[in-house]
Amino acid sequence: MTGAAATERGARERILAAAVDRIARHGIDEVRIARIAMDAGVSTSLVHYHFETREALLEQALDYSYELAGDVRLGPEGDVEELGSVKRLAAMIDQCLPYPGMLERDWILWVELWLRAARHPEMRPTAARLYARMRGWFAEAIATGIERGEFASDAEPERIADLLLALADGYGVRVLFGDLEVAHARREIWAAVQDELGLPEQPPPPLDPAHPQD
Amino acid sequence: MSPRPRLDHVRRPELLAAAAAVIRQRGLENARVADVAHEAGTSAPSVLYYFASKSELLKEALTSAEERFYEKLAHRLEQLESPRERLLHIVHSATGEGDYDAALWMELWARALRDPELAATRAELDGRWRRTIAEVVRYGQERGEFRTADPDEFAVLLASLLDGLSVQIALRDTEVTPDRVRELAVRLAERELGCELPEGARC
Repeated sequence: MTGAAATERGARERILAAAVDRIARHGIDEVRIARIAMDAGVSTSLVHYHFETREALLEQALDYSYELAGDVRLGPEGDVEELGSVKRLAAMIDQCLPYPGMLERDWILWVELWLRAARHPEMRPTAARLYARMRGWFAEAIATGIERGEFASDAEPERIADLLLALADGYGVRVLFGDLEVAHARREIWAAVQDELGLPEQPPPPLDPAHPQD
Repeated sequence: MSPRPRLDHVRRPELLAAAAAVIRQRGLENARVADVAHEAGTSAPSVLYYFASKSELLKEALTSAEERFYEKLAHRLEQLESPRERLLHIVHSATGEGDYDAALWMELWARALRDPELAATRAELDGRWRRTIAEVVRYGQERGEFRTADPDEFAVLLASLLDGLSVQIALRDTEVTPDRVRELAVRLAERELGCELPEGARC
């Protein structure tokens, strides 16, 4: 890649990152191109060069953030060899909940994205792809736990993956709005799958020592 | 033409139903007052007479849609004697077509993150939903059909599951069908409440 092309690609990413940040802070409907350009340190004409319309920029910014949020959610949940399946599952659930800071910001974007995808059918494949990835991520971890004899042998990986995903979204929204504490949500989600997976009654503490626990 | 808006022929409930239909279709961002007026068969000034802002329109439209939902639900629940049938009906009412308005709820969620008034509306509506579930649990416990479980805690659990699943339905996730949703919710309820819900009960 030439230097100019690299810079150009850098500018595009900077614009997307600035857009994502604005969306998270102010909501998608309040985002203006001029502001994004200012945040990204580029001219508005460069924004228009990369993105034909405001709509196109916002769609791509959400797509970009979806992938980022997905990476966070699918992120460093730890090696199963090192953690064992029980701790790994707890860490994966934590990745899906709005802990203060980064995860909370990702969560706000997540909600904007639901709305966008519900309204705009062309955004739905992105959403479906992400949910499929997350479903597979959980199902695989559960299947591995069964194989290793750490989860009950008759547990159904796909069904429990569906349950976990839905509960993480449903509880996550309520944590985001301050109805309940994140540690409470975590404990309830754990309790909902505890029997079926044959888990210990209490979830192991969060891997991240900064995350609040009961 | 009179400068005063003509209010005689259109009533508030009709306007709210029109507003809900427009928001559902185009999203609040693209919903124009003129669209709502057109849908209701009236003029923009008539709409503006009733609603000062889009936020208010969303709040009122959703609140009135929920009002109708609960009226119907309460009426139906009263007719069902068995607590288990009541619970099953609640699950069905949240996963059926049309009644539970996922698109309006998503608008509310996204906006409530930044608008304190809409946040209060969300808390109120969600509280009502949770109380409805908890009441059915208490009713079943009084009749000895559900085991001792915290009714309010169970209400958050079931409401969270149904919300999470309805998001996926709204996003047209093909893996998540209404049947799948019912199966997940029913099994969760059966396990938590130590009961069996009737198969294919009328809803």
